[in-house]
Order: sequence, then structure tokens, then C-alpha cells
Amino acid sequence: MNEITLLREAGPQAPPLTAAARSAARAALLAEIEASDSGRRRFRLPSPKARWRIGLAVTTAAAAWTAAVVVGAPDEPGPPPTGVTLVAFEPPVFPLSVVPVPPGLTPTFSADPGGILQARYGTGDGGSSFGIQVSPEEPEQYDVTGTDEVTIGDREAELVSGVDLVCGGPGPECVDVERPYVHLVVQWRDDLWVQVSGQGRYDDGDRLVALARALVDEPQPVPLQVHLAPAGWSVLAYKDDRILTLVDDAYEQQTLNVHLPLPEDVIPADRLLSELMGPVGPVIDVTVHDRPAHLVQIGGGPLDSGWFLQAQFPDGTTFVVQAPAAFTQDEVIRFAGEVTHSR
Amino acid sequence: MADGPPSPDRPPSLHALPSGPGDTELIARSVAEPEQFAALFDRHAAAVHRYLGRRVGELADDLLSETFLIAFRRRTAYRPERVDVRPWLLGIATNLVHAHARAERRRYRALARTGADPAAAHASDDVHARVDAEALRGPLAAALAGLAGRDRDVLLLFAWGQLGYEEIAVALDVPIGTVRSRLNRARRQTRAVLAPAYTSEVDR
Repeated sequence: MNEITLLREAGPQAPPLTAAARSAARAALLAEIEASDSGRRRFRLPSPKARWRIGLAVTTAAAAWTAAVVVGAPDEPGPPPTGVTLVAFEPPVFPLSVVPVPPGLTPTFSADPGGILQARYGTGDGGSSFGIQVSPEEPEQYDVTGTDEVTIGDREAELVSGVDLVCGGPGPECVDVERPYVHLVVQWRDDLWVQVSGQGRYDDGDRLVALARALVDEPQPVPLQVHLAPAGWSVLAYKDDRILTLVDDAYEQQTLNVHLPLPEDVIPADRLLSELMGPVGPVIDVTVHDRPAHLVQIGGGPLDSGWFLQAQFPDGTTFVVQAPAAFTQDEVIRFAGEVTHSR
Repeated sequence: MADGPPSPDRPPSLHALPSGPGDTELIARSVAEPEQFAALFDRHAAAVHRYLGRRVGELADDLLSETFLIAFRRRTAYRPERVDVRPWLLGIATNLVHAHARAERRRYRALARTGADPAAAHASDDVHARVDAEALRGPLAAALAGLAGRDRDVLLLFAWGQLGYEEIAVALDVPIGTVRSRLNRARRQTRAVLAPAYTSEVDR
């Protein structure tokens, strides 16, 4: 009996879900559903697409991100592809810039499937910050209490005010606390909506309007980039300039991850085999960016086996590549050699 | 994400076959017809409560409700191509547990001190199995109390949530390699704490 079985059989047990607790939780959900249905919980801005249609073409930049939308997974995936062909890859970009950037703030980028991109400008120490979110669809707003029309250049925009529920309270327990918010929402072009929001000194309608008026159509490259990728793959997600996930568009169970681990998650080379699960064979010493790197083949099921490579950028920052078994050893190293980080 | 065959990285699990529309279809429908979401509560409330209850005890009643309220509010952001509904719900539940980390650790420490778990008093009818479980309950709770929160999340989603690596990665929004290393670390630390008690039980 291993520790997992012990945990299941002898670990702390759950108290029973009583009929009263179940009914109370279900009733709360039904109340939420009913409120949503009648429009009290959720408010969707009336679509101003017809008014704001300006007929600009889709940019390559926006397409590079939105191409990451994937189709639903088949119920029974077949065997994964047995090989890849590495080709030049155009790194994704964020389509807008703030000019000038407020002193002391730098952007951090994230992207999710569906073409939702975010640039968060902050100081990195939890101080005042603001975010620019772009999406191909009009962003939904929650618990709206009011709207004000403003103009951003020749575009009409709205300042949306509402109330958000956040975890707060004086003690260690999480208590729902109502926090007012204000967002600026503007349709930038046919297929691009922009939402500007802020925290601290930027949580202010006038400042959001000023920031929106400082937006220009200047694409920004993201700091973590790959310049080589398997043919037929696209960006699935990008998070906080630390994680980039590519997906095989023809077999989306198969992904390729580039990750900048936190310092405490960097695995010393002599502990790689003991820290990783399912290693097959020894740690292979290789060279990436002219620096020593370590490659481990990982076993497991058809969707879990592959490669784990821990390498460094020329500045010494550690990064990790996790590639599926469809890659050869040489392809993992070639790919890693084309990963760059600019910050 | 479809269920694949059991593998060492993916613990076998039994899923009741849902009658009527599948989970993904229910969520899709619930965008225009919110009332469709209630069926997901009926299907998954027991599993989510069981997972929460093992972590936070009686607090699970409140967190069960919060989990489904949050899931309902975020249903338009659910990505069926990335994760099934149950792992998605357990990911939300896990994030809620973070806000109660102190309560969770207090629970484990109390169990570690006394070894008495009222919820487990009649978990097994087998006398020998019950004695074995009671002997290990305290050390197990002590091991859980000593784990870093993020390592504990991975371990318990694997052990109690019965999720595979990839599902945990999506539920916690971390790379799968991080899941592997955190799980390995958590298992190693748990084994180390259990070693004396477990060895004596095995040798008995």
C-alpha cells in the first residue's frame, strides 16, 4: 500500500453532505441563476457594434493570437502523431501600446484561448497598476451600477461602474467584501474590443480615460518568445511572461510548454531523476545557448511521455521545455535554442 | 478533454454515465438558458463536497455553495477543450480552500494530535482495516499539515480528487512538469513522515 492509497483509505474523511446543506447550496445556486436570468446579477452592455463599425482589417498581430482557438477534443483520441517538422515561427505580439508609459511601470502579458490578451502595467511590488485587455468579443460586465459615455479620439467609449465581490475581512477567513470598480470599454475596431481597468491610483475614471487616449496601434513583442515551432501548431496560452504553451492544432491533446520556473522550482541537476516522475534513462548533458543544459526522457502513457529539458538563457535565467514524445532529442535541443527571453 | 485509458499517471476512476446532455453541453446551454446549470450541481455536488470535506471538514458546506456560484458566474470562460467539468470544479474548490488554509492546517494538526476523526468513525466495517487506518490517521494528518500549500493541492487533487497530471495542471493553471515535481516532492515528504508508523503497521 503506497501513500496515495493510504491517503484515500486512512486520510481525513469528509463529514457527510447532509440534506440540509445540499438543499441550502442548491437553493443559493438557483437564486443566483434566477437573478442572472432576470438581469439583476449580470448586465451585458448593449452592443454598439453598428455605431462603432470602422471597417479596419484584422492585423496579423491579432490573428497570431486568435489562431490559438482550438476545436473540441474528440471523445476518443487516436494515437498522437509520431513526428514533427520544425519551422520558423512568428512570435505573438500584443497589438496596442501605451504612449507614453507612466514612469516606473512595465507591462506583463498574458493570453488565453479565445483571443483574450492582457497587458498589465505595474511596478512589480504590488503598487498601483493598470491593465489593458483586448478581445475579439465585447467583454462582459458584472453587477453594473452605471455607465457614462466618453470619447477616445474618434471612438465612443463607456465608463462602466459596478460592484465586485472580493475576498477580504480582518481575519484569516475569506469574507465577501463589496469593492466598487470602474472599467473603460471601447470597440477599437470591428474585431477588437479594449477594456482598461486600474488599481490604486489608476482605479479612477479620469485616469482610465487618459490611459485609453494614450493607446496607439503599435504592436509590442512579448518577452518570452519562440522562433521555431512544429508546423501546424499555434499558441494556446501565454501567462505572465513565464509560461508559453503551444498546441498541435490537429491533435490538441498534444502540447509543448516553455516555462520560466520560480527560483525555488528550479531543480538541481543532481536531483533531476529523483524530482521528476517517470524518468527513462539518465540525465543527458547537452548545450543550449552555449550553456550546459540537462535533458531527461520521461515515460508514461502515450499523452504523458516526452522530454524535460532544463536550460538557461545567456543571462543565466533558467527555463524549462516540456516536449511530447513526437520530438526527437535533437528537435528538443533545436527548439530550445530558439527560445528567447528579453527581460 | 476526453477520458483516456488508465495509466500510471492517470488513476483509474469510475464515472457514472450521465443521462441526458453531457456536462459540456449543459454549460454551453446554460449561457443562454442559465437554469440548465442546476443539473451540474446535481451531478457533481457530492464529489466536490467529499473533496472539500476531507480538506476543511464542516466548512465544506459553505465552500460547496461558493464553488458552484463561482462556476456559474464563470461558465462562459469554461474551455471544454482543456478540461472536463469535474476537474474544473475541483480547481475552483481548491482555490477556495486557499482562503481557509489556516483552518485546513488546524484541522490536520488536531487530527495529528488525537488521531480521532469523527467523520471516519464508521468508515470501514472491517475491524482490522479500521485499526490499521486509525493507527495511520494521525501520522497522515501530520504529514498533510507539514506540506507546502501548493504541494498539498497537487497531492490531494491526485489522491482525493482522482485527477490525472494534465487535469491537475489545467485545474491549477501550472505546467504539467510542475505538477510532476510537486507531486513527487509531496509524496516523498509524506513517505518520510509516515515511515515509522507505516513500517510498524506493515510489519505487524
